[in-house]
Amino acid sequence: MGIWENVVLAFAGIRSNKMRAILTMLGIIIGISSVIAISTLGDIMQANVMDIFNSQGGSNLTVFQVSRKDKPARDYSSDEDLITMDMIADVKKKYSKYLEAVSFMSGNYEASTRHHRKDYDLVVYGVNPGYIKQSMTKMMMGRYISESDCENIKNVCVISDRQAEKLFGSQRAAIGKVLPVTYNFQVTRTEKMAVYADYTIVGVYKYQLSSLMSSMMNAVGEDAESWNNEVYIPYSTLNRLVGDDKDTQYYFYGNMMNGIDIDKACEEIQDYMNQSYYRDNDSYEIHYQTMESQMEMIGQILGIVQLVISIIAAISLLVGGIGVMNIMLVSVTERTREIGVRKALGAPNSAIRIQFIVESIIICLVGGVIGIILGLLMGVAAGSIVGTAVPPSIRSIVIAVGFSMAIGIFFGYYPANKAAKLDPIEALRYE
Amino acid sequence: MNDIVINARDIVKKFYIGEPNELEILHGMTFEVPKGQFVSIVGQSGSGKSTLMNIIGALDRPTSGTYFLDGQDISRANDKELSRIRNLEIGFVFQTFNLIARTSALKNIELPMMYAGVPAKERRKRAFDLLDIVEMTDRSEHMPNELSGGQKQRIAIARAMANDPSIILADEPTGALDSKTGRLVMDLFHKLHREQGKTIVLITHNPELAAETDRIITIADGNIISDSAEVSPLEGIRRAPVIAVKPSGIQETGEKNDEAPAAPDTVPGVNETNGTSEDVQQQEQVQDHVPEPAAAEVSESEGKA
Repeated sequence: MGIWENVVLAFAGIRSNKMRAILTMLGIIIGISSVIAISTLGDIMQANVMDIFNSQGGSNLTVFQVSRKDKPARDYSSDEDLITMDMIADVKKKYSKYLEAVSFMSGNYEASTRHHRKDYDLVVYGVNPGYIKQSMTKMMMGRYISESDCENIKNVCVISDRQAEKLFGSQRAAIGKVLPVTYNFQVTRTEKMAVYADYTIVGVYKYQLSSLMSSMMNAVGEDAESWNNEVYIPYSTLNRLVGDDKDTQYYFYGNMMNGIDIDKACEEIQDYMNQSYYRDNDSYEIHYQTMESQMEMIGQILGIVQLVISIIAAISLLVGGIGVMNIMLVSVTERTREIGVRKALGAPNSAIRIQFIVESIIICLVGGVIGIILGLLMGVAAGSIVGTAVPPSIRSIVIAVGFSMAIGIFFGYYPANKAAKLDPIEALRYE
Repeated sequence: MNDIVINARDIVKKFYIGEPNELEILHGMTFEVPKGQFVSIVGQSGSGKSTLMNIIGALDRPTSGTYFLDGQDISRANDKELSRIRNLEIGFVFQTFNLIARTSALKNIELPMMYAGVPAKERRKRAFDLLDIVEMTDRSEHMPNELSGGQKQRIAIARAMANDPSIILADEPTGALDSKTGRLVMDLFHKLHREQGKTIVLITHNPELAAETDRIITIADGNIISDSAEVSPLEGIRRAPVIAVKPSGIQETGEKNDEAPAAPDTVPGVNETNGTSEDVQQQEQVQDHVPEPAAAEVSESEGKA
């Protein structure tokens, strides 16, 4: 008795009892489809995280930050503990072979601009020239904040393409125009102070939101356009405006050169800074963290989420498998006489066992295939909601097929063995 | 080649129904069946007929004694060997046909050959040859539920012959059929015996059917009480009905569903006593192919006897 005949027989059995077969498969279908949907969703998340990652300077981005030592003498940090502009300039000069750019932001403040008697909300960022490297922006027209802008504390700004079009009609028209900005500084809890400043527009950028982030914002009802209200000015200009003459930072970003050992280079920079500037500091030191290690952390969190849902799917598959076992036991009982006849005709126990295991595998496989199709559809649907299409994961399909076969074998073995061990005389006598 | 197909010596079968009780069903039976004989085993319910049939059919092993089937020792075979022997040496024909549901007539006939590992092409050809012998070629793709009782039994007989077994073991093959189709099935057995030289063992409680065979072994209470091979044939035939006749309900229900306006119905009570032989004779000429819808529903309780 070949496998093929058993397969044909199993399909005939399923056809003759469609409703029962479908109900039996339901657990498998739900389990497999959720596994496929989850893995597709996981791939989508991964793709989006990579999207953000790459738009922010990718794996080359490292953050150097002031962090507490293992046994700090103080809990609080003072200005002396922070990174100064001189330090950044020193590091950039000394390690120009490693650092493509350094970037930092001195602060951001809510503000507004008035145009044709209408107020538009803004967020003003004080940045250095390198900042463009790690922000999710791309220059469309003009130039970004330059080194000399910062040195000379120029009143210049870079605005978004949306702002340019809204306020000046076109991106080209915006260049060279003056942007009047009104800051509303919170002086006390209840008191606000308005500060006015005019900035000459030197460039227009385009915000490059990842598809996931824009779709997430759409999902929560926030207009992605509202993110286009960022205005960049030289960090020194902003510092002078708010009366901060110290120009200190808690952290700065380093865009590492391509093709170097990033961890080794970062280590070197970190050690240099600690040796040169923090040797006498009893509580603080410089610590680096690569984007890659941050991504790994995000990946781990995603992994945990996937694991939890996978466990739920596994439970569903277990329940489905028990359902298959139950129906196979019913089937064996129903067909006791048939088993007796087959044995009388000379079927060895092994042939009976294989027949029922094949039937169980077929039920699980059919359920598995339906589950895969459903899961892929769910994945596609989820992908279209968040706006990222990922190709179906061949790996998870192969695993799902293999897993449903394994369930078929595992939960089919006991009933099949029971059938195989039936006494032919008793079985023939069974009504 | 061995001339003796069945060689049973002192067959004892005991069933253990919890220590220390044991129930001895067969008390030491000894008989031989030569090749090509059409032999019937007759006995009432509870006579040990079914137990003996299970042993002859290699479904069961005797508790003691030896049983050689075509030279092979069944009494010492393990389960795997028993299934191989059943597959190749024995062709079962059951009272209730026992065709595999949802499986075509052709596939049913192929089944024993599948278990024997006969290649698909070869077994298909053999199955068609067998369909030809039982005159069912035009029903090859029919499912069992599309066949009448007589047709089912003919497919079952073709299936029994699939691996050209040493013996055909027929257990009340006409028990679930009305008399005219039963007659046709019996004719088929005679044809196989005559033309193919088959060794056929017919288990029945019907003395009329037994009388048609070469030899009658009558058993009661686990013993062979008469064997026509050891007495004069005439005496055996005369004696057998006396011991075995006990009209059962089977013929009764069978008659009621008979489509032909049979004579026994007009004479109430006749078939309750001794009318069976008349029925058979009256309907001998009636053609088959008439579907008998209720034939399969006939009480199967007799199969347990």
